[in-house]
Amino acid sequence: MIKLYDYELSGNCYKLRLLMSFLGIEYASELIDFYPGNQHKAEAFRQINPLGQLPVIDDDGLVLRDAQAILVYLASKYDGSGQWYPTDSPQMLGQISQWLAFADAITATASAARLHDALFYNHIDIDAARNGAHRLFRMLDEHLWFAEDTGQDWICPGDHPTIADIACFPYTILSEEGGISRMDYPAIRRWCDRFKRIPGFTVMSGVFPAGPAVDAA
Amino acid sequence: MTRAIKREAIMTTDLHSNWYPIASSSDLPNRHVYQAQLLGREFAVWRADDGYVNVWENRCLHRGVRLSIGINDGQELKCQYHGWRYANRTAGCTYIPAHPADAPSRTICNNTYPAQEAHGMVWAGEMAVGEVPALDGFEAATVLRPIPLNAPQEMVSNSLLAYSFADGCSGAPNEDGSVTITAGDGAAVRFYVQPVNSNHSVIRGILNKELTGSERLSSLKLHDWKLQELRSKVEAEAAQSEPLAPMEPVFARVSELLSELPHETTDGRTAELRVTVAEKSMTAEGIVSLRFDSIKGQLPTFQPGAHIDVHLQNGLIRQYSLTNGPGETDHYTIGVKREPDSRGGSVSIHDEVKKGDLLAVSAPRNNFPLRRDAVHTIFVAGGIGVTPLISMARTLNSQGHSFEFHYFVQSKNHAAFKQEMGEFDKALTLHEGLSPDETGAKLRQVLSAPGDSRHVYICGPGPMLEATRDIADAQGWPDGAIHFEYFKNTTELDDSNSFQLDLARSAMTLDVPAGKTILEVLRENGINMASSCEQGACGTCRVGVIEGDVIHQDVYLSPGEKAEGKSIMTCVSRAASDRLILDI
Repeated sequence: MIKLYDYELSGNCYKLRLLMSFLGIEYASELIDFYPGNQHKAEAFRQINPLGQLPVIDDDGLVLRDAQAILVYLASKYDGSGQWYPTDSPQMLGQISQWLAFADAITATASAARLHDALFYNHIDIDAARNGAHRLFRMLDEHLWFAEDTGQDWICPGDHPTIADIACFPYTILSEEGGISRMDYPAIRRWCDRFKRIPGFTVMSGVFPAGPAVDAA
Repeated sequence: MTRAIKREAIMTTDLHSNWYPIASSSDLPNRHVYQAQLLGREFAVWRADDGYVNVWENRCLHRGVRLSIGINDGQELKCQYHGWRYANRTAGCTYIPAHPADAPSRTICNNTYPAQEAHGMVWAGEMAVGEVPALDGFEAATVLRPIPLNAPQEMVSNSLLAYSFADGCSGAPNEDGSVTITAGDGAAVRFYVQPVNSNHSVIRGILNKELTGSERLSSLKLHDWKLQELRSKVEAEAAQSEPLAPMEPVFARVSELLSELPHETTDGRTAELRVTVAEKSMTAEGIVSLRFDSIKGQLPTFQPGAHIDVHLQNGLIRQYSLTNGPGETDHYTIGVKREPDSRGGSVSIHDEVKKGDLLAVSAPRNNFPLRRDAVHTIFVAGGIGVTPLISMARTLNSQGHSFEFHYFVQSKNHAAFKQEMGEFDKALTLHEGLSPDETGAKLRQVLSAPGDSRHVYICGPGPMLEATRDIADAQGWPDGAIHFEYFKNTTELDDSNSFQLDLARSAMTLDVPAGKTILEVLRENGINMASSCEQGACGTCRVGVIEGDVIHQDVYLSPGEKAEGKSIMTCVSRAASDRLILDI
């Protein structure tokens, strides 16, 4: 069974919990006490990931770090439908990779602001982190607004969400814990509602479920 | 009324009485809650499934959590924190999960703000009145993507005057504060700047053309780009200026309703609402349904199980349960059966009340509250007793709770409100033309499985109600799981004894002589008591008993509650002892 080195409050770990829930993959969480235990910087964990970062998975001996890399791996290996990461479409792979990098930028800003506000990472330049997140959210909101306008629900084209949506979701929905309001980004707020209605969606601390969609009611 | 007056005293600027666009219509898909801010005040904005746009204060009355992270279920808005529910239109609280057996007080109501939808945008204003600005020349329009920016409204408006999107553009300010840019070829765009806060605005533009296809997309993208360029410039300029202090909206600390004593009334049965009979039609044999619309303002919030007093043209006052579903807050609907032995109430409604008539009715009261924490709920309706149960079943159905609905009628033709019942037809079983014995057998079957968190709600004629309660009791249902409402009290009332009444909180001692009710004696002595049916059926005049024995003559309290002796229906019940101490 897949082992996930996991921390409940980590949005990056949440990305993997989401994908594995969407795909119905069984896994076991190995809990790493990120705060206040700082276990991810302890020697035992650095032997698994020298970067001292969560998440890490161990799938039958293959040890992988980096949330985006693991999303690519899990979707390629376990998604029989090929919809979350369509390996047969270079256009889609290019766009997904572009947004995976964008998700990393969201982590570097919105997640940093949240670490500052919620987990006492006082060395972080909070203004730079928040301004950086707003800059990214302006771009994402514009992108999603025009996508919606042409009938597209997700970050990349097509009728089905991809791992790009999963990668961008957690630190966007948690942004208010870092003092970053999403009021200016109505298209992002609607996309978050749609994301929460994907069958298999799970919550984490600070993320609330959506109500039923009109069709489901 | 008091609320509006008080606000006026606080807010003196014109800004607060203006209309501003706060969203594009497309920002409000069904089942979504949009977050907005205007002049520093935050709003939770949501469209109900019936299309109504609600603009509310963005905080739950309970613990202040933003309602913009709540759940819009199409009829109500539910807070994420402890699940308080607020009704479409009225923003009145309809349910508090921590108190599943109680009806929330009518005074628990969020602040709502004026809203209108026009020109593809949603307009609001804290105290806006009249119509939204006319947009002559923009009858066919395309709404641009709104552009939020960190700059004061005035600075943004000024910079928009120089906006250019084609050859020969010239800008001009309008009286309503907006800016129109007209190009050489007559194409025009009008910009409203929503003042979010002192240093925060949103540019909302409309083109004077309805565009489609690729032309629309390229035009939207062109303006989007130009406006983003303008944003960069204005934000740089704003960053150079001394930052303004954030606006401070005034929040009422306690709702005025809660901080004021209720109005003095001489009669406990007030009819504070005036309604028109908007529709009157036969819904089944011998049963008429009436739809009441408000003459002025919104009707107060109701909860499933609630009834209203209807003051009839012949002077009689009658109670009728509402059949409305959740979110159906723009009218009240009741069902009235023509009673052959009517004392004039049902006959008057059937024969005298006409469509278009004005009637006086009370605000809804709920003495028959619906729990929503049951694992499974069984409704047992007999004849016209179906009305409160329809409202309850529509609520459970809309919120996805498990229930079954048994409706006992003489024949199919006697089954009322078929359209409303259609919402939950999978849960509905019609039992037609059963004899009393057959009804008993059927009820034993329906009530064969008592269990944890299973609840039964019964309403119907007295004999059927008593039979159902006996059967439930015999099959092991606990008293607290059986909820019932009589619509009349057929008990032979005895008012022949006299006794002394001590009012613990009012520090008064009164004598109740033979021939007078406790309620009458209280009123004669200036104690204002709410009442409704005044025959021991509705529960409105219930009072706590501190000491003394009670002769219960009502049909509202359960046998357990009567045995406990801790409350009394002051309209019919009396003291068995010489002295009764009441908690009033």
